[in-house]
Amino acid sequence: MTKLLITEITRMGPAFCIIGLQREKDEIHSVRPIPSSANGWRYFPHQRGDILECSLMQLPAAKPHIEDRVSTRGFWKSAEMPEPETVTWLRKAELSPTLPGLFGCAVRENKRGSGHYVMPGEAQRSICGCDTQNLRLELCANELRATLVLSSGEVLRDLPVVDHNWRGFVEQALSPERGANRMNRLERFLNSQFHYKILSCPHHFVRLGLTRPYHEVCWLMLDTLFPLPKPEWFEEF
Amino acid sequence: MVPSLSSSLRVREMWIRIVEQCFRRELGDSISLPDDTVDLIEAGILDSMSWVSFLRGVEIASGVSDLGSALNEQPATFASVFAALQQVDSKPLEQDDPPPEFVRPGRGNLALITGSSLALASRVVPSEEIDRAFGMPIGKLRHRAGIESLAYAAEGENELTLGAKAAEETLRGTSCGAHELDWIIATSETHHNYPLLAAQLHSRLLVRENCGALDVGGACLGLLNALAVARSLIGSGAAQNILVVTADVHSRTLTPGRVKGEFGGLFGDGATAFLLRGGNGTESDGGYRVGEFLFGCAGQYAAAIQVSDDLEGGLAVRFDGDALSRAAITRLEKTISAVESRSGIPRAAVGYFATHQPNPRLLTLLAKQCGVSPQAFPPICRTSGNLGSSMCAAALHTALQSASQLPVAERKPIFLASLGPGLLFGGTWLSIGDQRTEAGD
Repeated sequence: MTKLLITEITRMGPAFCIIGLQREKDEIHSVRPIPSSANGWRYFPHQRGDILECSLMQLPAAKPHIEDRVSTRGFWKSAEMPEPETVTWLRKAELSPTLPGLFGCAVRENKRGSGHYVMPGEAQRSICGCDTQNLRLELCANELRATLVLSSGEVLRDLPVVDHNWRGFVEQALSPERGANRMNRLERFLNSQFHYKILSCPHHFVRLGLTRPYHEVCWLMLDTLFPLPKPEWFEEF
Repeated sequence: MVPSLSSSLRVREMWIRIVEQCFRRELGDSISLPDDTVDLIEAGILDSMSWVSFLRGVEIASGVSDLGSALNEQPATFASVFAALQQVDSKPLEQDDPPPEFVRPGRGNLALITGSSLALASRVVPSEEIDRAFGMPIGKLRHRAGIESLAYAAEGENELTLGAKAAEETLRGTSCGAHELDWIIATSETHHNYPLLAAQLHSRLLVRENCGALDVGGACLGLLNALAVARSLIGSGAAQNILVVTADVHSRTLTPGRVKGEFGGLFGDGATAFLLRGGNGTESDGGYRVGEFLFGCAGQYAAAIQVSDDLEGGLAVRFDGDALSRAAITRLEKTISAVESRSGIPRAAVGYFATHQPNPRLLTLLAKQCGVSPQAFPPICRTSGNLGSSMCAAALHTALQSASQLPVAERKPIFLASLGPGLLFGGTWLSIGDQRTEAGD
């Protein structure tokens, strides 16, 4: 049995992608449990911070998704960990202050438009944590995007936000029962209170991930943004 | 004003060209263009990544910065894109020329300062401590220059952090999102690294990628230079929101052993930021309107202050304090007189003089020379030292803060005058609504 601290729940189309932290001897590293027949889960009833017991089998995984492990049985929750403590553990796992250090290779800019990608054969991993000097979320033509500055001063623009909680927060903010001018109110929130809440949070932390190879490249995404959104924030906008 | 048919057609043709080019850049030349009403994502022509990528391309090519925002809650169609372009540039053109690439219709072309902030370095150091550090007689800075204390950067503070702090406070105070900025114009007499300060601020503030970033020089005249550029950009219609930032950290450059205390001991650290917005001069615009600028260079004083790198990595400073003091007072007074003539605003009607402040003693002399109350000069340098390019800026921020306490009708004009090595000089004035004169704008 493997003990896994769930740190990522991302939404990729109709499926969820799960990543957790596993301790092996003195090392903490990321592991991505996947079903035997797909890369994502249609149903995943657990939360970030849950500690799950599971059986994982390591198969030869194509770079850069070396963290993939096939889950051979179900998940059993044995405990849970508060958000700040989860981030403490994340800081002990994959971490880089610089762009090339994120995935162990050059990060390239999309020459046609926006976004950043890596070449699958060059990347050494598909998930990494980082500290940010600044971060902004915006809705661009209905798509949630993040722009951030790494500790090194390097900027990543227009990263798709696939964090399940943050996407859910935005969807709920735009739901009809929230009343009139929902989009304007959300934009105002993202441009003002959000900034303060995120950057002043002592356990502010970001994890960036890579898509599966698509047209021969892997795109960068914002997998996780801590702190996670709070329901009470809806009352502020 | 109704746009002429040819103008509208030209703009429409330009948008069609840009949209087509950006679309083909995403998908290649071989693909046929879908109908305007086809939802590009639902039809599987673009995925969400390439949809946003395509829109960013259109934003950069068209100069329309808020396209993504305008397309929220809209289908992913060409028709939506054209409608959003129309909506963003919705106001009519006034005339056929100049072409739309250069003048964005519907924008106010008067430059207004709508917000400002001052971020002094956090360490307050008594001037006696500086005397001691530079090996000068204790009390020299206080008694000869009138400096009581200096603002020195603490560990972790530098031009970028101070400038970013001032910038963020200004944006917050004016409810202007960083994404609304068209330009960041920075000036500093101490930041000589690459990337330049404006580029670093651009990244730190996370403004749009197609927001311009420009550093201007001029040392203590830097603020005036930056404001003049900002005013021109807004006046031409090329920009609507511009952040001007000054930031100076002298305490790490003008150090004991590198320069003499009579020079290095005068300087402190700080930063300022000003938001300039285009307006039409109506009361609802708020803020002070930036007037015309006058600039020049009195080369006869060039030798009074010269700073250059020496071969050993130190600083070669030529500083004739007495000559520079005389030149500074003379030139600042002349500049104020010229601003008075150009604006048609008598100096007696001016609320504040935001000038360069070499030191408190010279500021008092300047007030006397100009025949105005010393109270009209915000006394920043007394407690923070000479802040370089942020000096005139800090005085201006303080003046704006004081003026903002008054009802709009009671706010008086502000004169700006400053100097830089060379001896460069420049001036302008700020006024509110009906304070404009025929000699003015």
